[in-house]
Amino acid sequence: MNRRALVGALAAAVTLAVVPRRVRAAPKKLRPPGALPAGAFEEACIGCFRCAEVCPTKVIRFPSAFSLDVATPYLDFEDRACVLCMKCTQVCPTDALLKLAAEQVKVGVPKLTRSQCLPWTGQGVCRLCYQVCPYPDRAVEVVGPQKAPLFHPEACVGCGLCEEACPDTARAIVIEPLS
Amino acid sequence: MQQFVRRTLQPFDITLRHHLAYQRGRQLFLGFSLLLTFSLPLWRLHTLEANDPSFLGAPTSIRVGFFELVDPLEGLATALMRGVSWNLVWTLLPGVLLVGLLGRFFCGWACPYLPVLAASNAARWLLSRLGLPTADVKLPRVTSRVVLVGVLVVGSVLGVQVVPLVYPPAVIGREAFRVVFYGSLGAGAFVVLAAFLFDTFVSRAGFCRSLCPGGAMFSTLGAASPIKVHNDRSKCTDCTVCDVVCNLGQSPMQNKVDSGCERCGKCIASCPTKALSWMLQVPGKKS
Repeated sequence: MNRRALVGALAAAVTLAVVPRRVRAAPKKLRPPGALPAGAFEEACIGCFRCAEVCPTKVIRFPSAFSLDVATPYLDFEDRACVLCMKCTQVCPTDALLKLAAEQVKVGVPKLTRSQCLPWTGQGVCRLCYQVCPYPDRAVEVVGPQKAPLFHPEACVGCGLCEEACPDTARAIVIEPLS
Repeated sequence: MQQFVRRTLQPFDITLRHHLAYQRGRQLFLGFSLLLTFSLPLWRLHTLEANDPSFLGAPTSIRVGFFELVDPLEGLATALMRGVSWNLVWTLLPGVLLVGLLGRFFCGWACPYLPVLAASNAARWLLSRLGLPTADVKLPRVTSRVVLVGVLVVGSVLGVQVVPLVYPPAVIGREAFRVVFYGSLGAGAFVVLAAFLFDTFVSRAGFCRSLCPGGAMFSTLGAASPIKVHNDRSKCTDCTVCDVVCNLGQSPMQNKVDSGCERCGKCIASCPTKALSWMLQVPGKKS
């Protein structure tokens, strides 16, 4: 290494140490299972596409618009949901996704709009969210005479299966990013 | 037609005369790299349900069983921001060793941007044939290092990885997957287009030579490589063919080939008097 390269490397090291990190606020997005906290995730992810490559339901997506997040994956629960196969966590080369057990996943929290939910509004019988939930009675239970769903966000992993199952006429459940 | 194709792919009317096995090998390797880049997403899509995470690949991140190959540049950016972990060391080691031994070979042997560069060179050749002027700005040598350091610093300041946004192999690999998986191109297509336009109208292979942070990283790491191009001055006729055929502005004619050499071997193959050859030399020693 010549002198100029050495000086350059030293200058870079000093700049890296002095300049405060994460001037920009981290975006609120649903990240794949096992993702590091917002901020740390964007630093670690190299956008290699491996997680999206192995996702059997193709819910791991990459944004297409011009933005700094264009190379980081997010979850799109519009059509399908995460089935907690945990393969994405096994392939990440930079530990942006940590290897977890399915029960430890925390993708997001469910938000139920009761005014759109069929049992809550008395429009009919529906227990789809309860039936598809991988952790029934813990993450969601059915209450009252109309068997309406009651979510327990602290026990929910945020896989989005309930969002996927919720009838198109209702669309009462949305998984929201962690705050 | 054949003549036209040959000339388009090998502009400047320079014939590759010898060491052809090396050129065949390089073209086969490049072909395999491109095949992997563009056919793996298709294969993936058809085997999605029975997915096996032991064989994965995009040009900057490959896994075959326990063998991991991740681009040293992206790994370095992660290490700078997140610290070094054993997983990171394990995934980076093969790439770093390969580049340390072979130099900047990725650029000449495997980069999926190479077809775009060939198209750019063909466009330059056509422009000159049509009598239109083509600019060839030579940016100062230090530019690529400035870009490399700049990309790492900007990434650290913003807390995001900048390399995957601007580094053509990463961009092309991601876009290939995106097209197959979601049926649409993303913003990365414009990065490749911008690099093509820069190479065509501003500077020949200027992106690879002066702007690509990956090229700068490989040049820096590859300075340890013992492989050199040697010019036997007693056979050299100063015909300049080797200097002209080089995309990266090296000068084998004057025995001035540094770590920017991408090991494409076209200078050796095109030398009319066989004055050029590969040579092993311990770095730091002068012959």
